[in-house]
Amino acid sequence: MSTTVRAPKAYRPGLFTRLADGLRSSYGIGQWSWLIHRVTGLGILLFLVVHIIDTFFVVAYPGLYDHTVSLYGGRVPWILDAQGNPVYFAPLRWAFRLSELALIACVLFHSLNGVRVALVDLTPRGALFQKQMFGWVLGLFIVIMLIVCYFVLVPLFHPPVFWNFPTEAVGPPPSAP
Amino acid sequence: MAETTRHLTVRIKRFDPETDSAPHWEEYQVEAEPWDRVLDVIQKVKWTIDDGLALRRSCAHGVCGSDAMRINGRNQLACKVLVKNLPDNTIRVEPILGLPVIKDLVVDMKPFFDHYKSVMPFLVNDEPPPTTERLQSIAARARFDDTTKCILCACCTTACPPFWGDRKYVGPAAIVNAHRFIFDSRDRAAAERLEILNDAEGVWRCRTVFNCTEVCPREIKVTQAISEVKRALLTGDVGEIDASAETAAAAS
Amino acid sequence: MRVSGLVLVFLALGHLCITHILNNVEVINYAFVAERWANPRTGVLWRLWDLTMINLAVLHGFNGLRQILYEWIVRPGARKLVGTLIWSACIGLIGIGSYAILNFRKDEDYLRRFREANPPAVTEPSLVDTTIPAPPALATIPSLVP
Ligand code: FES
Repeated sequence: MSTTVRAPKAYRPGLFTRLADGLRSSYGIGQWSWLIHRVTGLGILLFLVVHIIDTFFVVAYPGLYDHTVSLYGGRVPWILDAQGNPVYFAPLRWAFRLSELALIACVLFHSLNGVRVALVDLTPRGALFQKQMFGWVLGLFIVIMLIVCYFVLVPLFHPPVFWNFPTEAVGPPPSAP
Repeated sequence: MAETTRHLTVRIKRFDPETDSAPHWEEYQVEAEPWDRVLDVIQKVKWTIDDGLALRRSCAHGVCGSDAMRINGRNQLACKVLVKNLPDNTIRVEPILGLPVIKDLVVDMKPFFDHYKSVMPFLVNDEPPPTTERLQSIAARARFDDTTKCILCACCTTACPPFWGDRKYVGPAAIVNAHRFIFDSRDRAAAERLEILNDAEGVWRCRTVFNCTEVCPREIKVTQAISEVKRALLTGDVGEIDASAETAAAAS
Repeated sequence: MRVSGLVLVFLALGHLCITHILNNVEVINYAFVAERWANPRTGVLWRLWDLTMINLAVLHGFNGLRQILYEWIVRPGARKLVGTLIWSACIGLIGIGSYAILNFRKDEDYLRRFREANPPAVTEPSLVDTTIPAPPALATIPSLVP
């Protein structure tokens, strides 16, 4: 009697197992800078798409544009008060301020680290100084972010800038003085 | 570090293809001397506790490159890690990541060597050989000295996040070995190798993560070598040294 | 990627600097954009800046996304699908972005109504005239005005 011996199956971890396993590994700052670079890049791309679409309104629907961007100032465009202005909601303003800060942080880190990556790839000895360069990236990032934080967060402690939204009805032309 | 016998808890990721569908962790208690290597510790497990444990090793002196494994989450040669340098008394040992696991710590190296072969890792020179050897100046030899040190242990390739995602990527080890010949003044196939590496799965998959440089047991500056290849692709310049002048210089 | 990235460092950081640091985002509205893009003297430059930035940013961003996905999606068919989707999204976004920048015409009627709703006493005078305004944000932050 003959038996067929089949080679036992090797184990191939799936993509997510591989990535999760890999991220548990303990390598140097290179892996972290790569990971942050990637995550910030994806974050920026998401915002970029939103931002292109909202800026598109500027061409055809000025009113819609104003309502949309008023969101960034903490006003809720789909709830209007008696004068037809979006209502103001303080926590929303905080939320948008903080995400604004996050966006700037993403762009700043991605830029600085991007310069580092370009130096590694394009200069003859860049790869030998990647750790030092990452130190510079972090240092510059922290210094610039502190300055940015000041400018971006200070308005939060002042009353919001309000403007009134023009009504859709076309009023009489302004009388010339 | 304590210079006394240490009581180690060794956690090994085991996989038996005949009974398991996925790997699992096993724990072993082993006494080890500070001068022991992790390879000795694992072999003590195999010889005294569980002889079913599968691993590769050969020279035990960091030369053959067969015992690459992930020790405490980092690709290393087990024969190059001393017990006295371990940060604590628990060690995690796993197979290297990204290649199919055949059994326990043994992975299928075929994909790795296929990538290695794909970059023509051999000297190509059809010119009639001189009466003596093909001579080379010290400077020209130094150009690729770093990448001659590779022992093909696969530590770098299996530490590379793009390779974890995309196993078609040739990987750092193959690029290192291509670099070794691309920048060799006696070799004539640099352009062909560069063309192979210019492929979508070639050198541009490198995301400068530096894990390869970090883990290389031979301390090859892997990312530096890769970026030299990238620049050679961009500029078309492999630092070709005039061969005849070269030979004359070497002969004198 | 390296080249577009390096150019974007200046364009995007400059853009962020103008909209988030020199100005308070809360003052940015239609009038602000109209002032920039429709300015008879500097409008062309602003539009050129924004046009370059939008094109490079979309290409850079989507190419990056494609590279990431290609790293994780290995089968050729799936890659082709992903590539097609990404390039279509790219073309679409560049299309609407460039359309917005190039076809922008100041909506005088809306601006007039905006001015009526916000008489100069309430808002900054810069919204009224079309000359280059002083950055309005700094004036709205009392602590920054000596
Ligand atoms: S056994 Fe040869 S390198 Fe470790």
